[in-house]
Amino acid sequence: MSSEVFKDATRMSGGRSSDEAIVAMEGVYKRFKDFEALKNINFQVGKQEVVVVIGPSGSGKSTLIRCINRLEEHDDGRIIVDGTELTTDVRNIQEIRKETGMVFQSFNLFPHLTVLANIALAPRQVRGMPKSEAEALARELLERVKIPEQADKFPAQLSGGQQQRVAIARSLAMKPKVMLFDEPTSALDPEMINEVLDAIKQLAQEGMTMVVVTHEMGFAKEVADRVVFMADGEIVEVGTPSEIFDNPKEERTQKFLAQIL
Amino acid sequence: MSSLPSAPAKVPIWRDVRVLRWLFQIAVLAVVGIIIYWIWGNYQTNIERSSVQTDLRFLDNPASFTIPGNDFDQSSPVRAAFVQGFLNTIQVALVGIFFATILGTIIGIARLSKNLVVKTIAAAYVEVIRNLPLLLLLTFMNLAVVLQTFPRIEDAWKPLDLFVISNRGLAIPWFEGSAGQLSLLVLAGIVLAVIVVRLERARADKVGRPSRALLLGTLALAIVPVVGWITLGYTWTLPFVDGRGTSGGLRLDPSFFALIVALVVYTSSHIAEIVRGSILAVPRGQGEAADALALSNSQKMRIIILPQAFRVAMPALGNQYLNLIKNSSLGATISYFELTQIAQITVGNGSPAVPAFTLTLLVYLAISLFTSLFVNYFNRRLALVER
Amino acid sequence: MTVVFGYVGLWVIWTVIEFVFVTGRWEIIQVNLKLLLVGRFPDELMWLVGASLTALAFWVAAVAGGSKIDLNNVQTIPQRLFDYTRRFGLIVALAALLIFLAADIAALLLAFQVLGGVVVGRLVGLARRNVSVLGAIPSIIWHPMLGSPAIALVLVTLMESTLEEWGGFLINFYMAIISIVLCFPLGVLLALGRRSSFPIIRLVTTTYIELIRGAPLFVLLLLAGVALEFFIPPSIAPDAIFRGVTVFTLFTAAYLAEIVRGGLQSIPKGQTEAGKALGLSTTKITYLITMPQALRNVIPAQIGQFISLFKDTTLAGAALNILDVLNVGTAITKQQDFLGQGLIYEALAFVALLFWVGSYVMSRESQRLEKRLGVGVR
Repeated sequence: MSSEVFKDATRMSGGRSSDEAIVAMEGVYKRFKDFEALKNINFQVGKQEVVVVIGPSGSGKSTLIRCINRLEEHDDGRIIVDGTELTTDVRNIQEIRKETGMVFQSFNLFPHLTVLANIALAPRQVRGMPKSEAEALARELLERVKIPEQADKFPAQLSGGQQQRVAIARSLAMKPKVMLFDEPTSALDPEMINEVLDAIKQLAQEGMTMVVVTHEMGFAKEVADRVVFMADGEIVEVGTPSEIFDNPKEERTQKFLAQIL
Repeated sequence: MSSLPSAPAKVPIWRDVRVLRWLFQIAVLAVVGIIIYWIWGNYQTNIERSSVQTDLRFLDNPASFTIPGNDFDQSSPVRAAFVQGFLNTIQVALVGIFFATILGTIIGIARLSKNLVVKTIAAAYVEVIRNLPLLLLLTFMNLAVVLQTFPRIEDAWKPLDLFVISNRGLAIPWFEGSAGQLSLLVLAGIVLAVIVVRLERARADKVGRPSRALLLGTLALAIVPVVGWITLGYTWTLPFVDGRGTSGGLRLDPSFFALIVALVVYTSSHIAEIVRGSILAVPRGQGEAADALALSNSQKMRIIILPQAFRVAMPALGNQYLNLIKNSSLGATISYFELTQIAQITVGNGSPAVPAFTLTLLVYLAISLFTSLFVNYFNRRLALVER
Repeated sequence: MTVVFGYVGLWVIWTVIEFVFVTGRWEIIQVNLKLLLVGRFPDELMWLVGASLTALAFWVAAVAGGSKIDLNNVQTIPQRLFDYTRRFGLIVALAALLIFLAADIAALLLAFQVLGGVVVGRLVGLARRNVSVLGAIPSIIWHPMLGSPAIALVLVTLMESTLEEWGGFLINFYMAIISIVLCFPLGVLLALGRRSSFPIIRLVTTTYIELIRGAPLFVLLLLAGVALEFFIPPSIAPDAIFRGVTVFTLFTAAYLAEIVRGGLQSIPKGQTEAGKALGLSTTKITYLITMPQALRNVIPAQIGQFISLFKDTTLAGAALNILDVLNVGTAITKQQDFLGQGLIYEALAFVALLFWVGSYVMSRESQRLEKRLGVGVR
């Protein structure tokens, strides 16, 4: 794709100047056997931008962000994260994974390690941080997500909302440039959703670049700089929250919003 | 101005994920290959030194031993001995599996009984037997029970006047007539029973009455052999002491008897646990739903609980059957002429050890494989279709 | 039903009691106690046995004491003592019986020595648990993986010098321990290989595992008995115990591989994904995240495998003509003083007792662990 066309696409998706793009996806395709999960994805996330991705299940939202940190391998097109291109080069993959943090729907905390050990693990093993420094960092992050007293407990002893906040702290420990959230509140009981959303909002206010896949429309309206609507593996519509929610242009967007709002 | 470089940079080979994956595989294979090569090298060196045969020619040599309870001739080739051993193993396997399953199921269900006496005895049985080595049980059966406790033939026990028990074996009433033909009749009976059950179920569905399939099926199964029996003129014979042995009936070789009892007792304790576990594994809600639908106790067990329990138990049961088959090799320790004993004897008589035992292993592997396939087939048929 | 069971049960109980206390002639056991337990092990080296038993007891207690499984298990001292009596009372009773039969002060001292080892080990384990609660490398994998080679080496070097003199229950016990420890690395590697995404590795490991699992252990032992020397350099002359341990190790590794594979399969995929997302390498993910969880989850199954192995050591006696406890048991009935008196019952009963107590207690512990591991710690 020529750079001119790409610039247009960037403008159309409402992105900032691509000079500052933290994540850039160009012409990305992803196939599972005969099923095309992602079709011609052109997507950019600028510095300190909060992008919320919405859409029906099976639309490829999770696949999209999982491609960014190579949990899924894209088949065509290019993905570039913070200047490093995502290829089969192990060093690139490693670099990119260091700079991206991911929070999963099912938390995926390590049950055999304490909360503190969960958070301190990656800095120690990947960045080579000494144990005391890593643990100090971990405690600091636990303060940030407002559960410092849970440091020595095991994940199974925490509520769902607390576990997810630990998961957020765990990803933050690597000081990533961009945070990826894959339906962070979908597995939570209703009364705990807010505590997690608050933590994410706080991160946004502190200026973290984020891509959030979620069904929480209220959250999207409040925090997103841009909302991306996906369906059937394609990006259907992109815009600011008010553009998408109050004035959807595409029919598929309208149908979807009608179903959930 | 785009921040994307104009074309993707070339991935250096030594950092390429795909290349690295293959390199790793090759490295592991190389290590394994080296180990195998080293072992093979040692093998060759040693074989040359000791000038031992390494092929299967020994199978044609005369056996130079006899197999009791058989018309096996001393001059028959070794391979015939192996075949006989194989048949004996199969015999032990079939009889053992049959009785072990029955005994195991009874004890397993007994363990779930509400009757305290029954439950405790069954539990004691399982807990004692399960924790003993099989070889110990076998040695006990052989040395203590058969060779020591069983009386000499002159003073043989004759319980119910039907059996003759001595240290020459257990003699049971048996029929006079061709065993092969009877087996065919039984098979025919099974086929007929299956047909009858299907027809009866279809009829019952149409008419809307509970099917009497079980009853009719059993009748069909019994009728064919009985009719055959009468028309072919088979008769029962009772064993009696005749000089130094017994005549009439069927005399079970003492080692066969010891082996079977040990195997059945041992395996049944494991099967009892499996049966118990599988019934407990059926969710309580199933029984409650059956009760809510006003099914009778027997209907509840037959239609809801046991089929589901069986589904859960099948893989573990199959495993126990395989274990029983492999454990039959211990018959060699009490001189029962199953496959392993045959192998040991021919090796003692001069057959080359490595090929003989390797052949034995391969036969067991084949039996295991076959049984596994059989069990897997059943498993798949029974498996719940999942979303 | 009740009548049948009750009748049979009562008859059995009556016969057993009568046998044990009234009609049984137990001198054969008393006289041959040493032979049964340690064969012809030289007296001057018996301290080695004591030392390694104590070391083993210490290590097991340290691992158990250091584990964080029952964080919420706060028991008072009397409750604790009652719990221990219930769990290990049988072993203590057996030890008491053996000491009584031996009528030897040395035996009593040995018992106290081992008990001391257990107590010290437990205290060390507790101390370690309380001091470092924040390990990134979980303790439950530390000790088996780092301790077992050490212990195995200790055992082997201690006993190496006297391999020829081993006999009796000593053989069963040590062969089982050495084999289960040595088979661990191989079993883990095989499990990883079987799950590998590389087809050739998977084929090789699966073939090995399936071949071993389809073969009767007895036949493998027979084969090793006559054929092992063909596969190793001519300079090493393998003795019977060496052959036995080799076969047991290779055999148990295959079964252990299946157990570990089951454990690995039960770990949710999300765990590896979380590791990857954090930038951990595949090796680190396996070593720090998947393997510790998998191994912990299958501890009950591993104990079950050890119990099987323990009982199967009797096969080595039959196949390789090793004088293990069962062989000694049948042999002593043919001694001059005891020939032809039908003492096989007493001999086998004693051997059965040794195996039964060991297996039963271990199996109960494994069930207890299974319950503890399964319960959520909320």
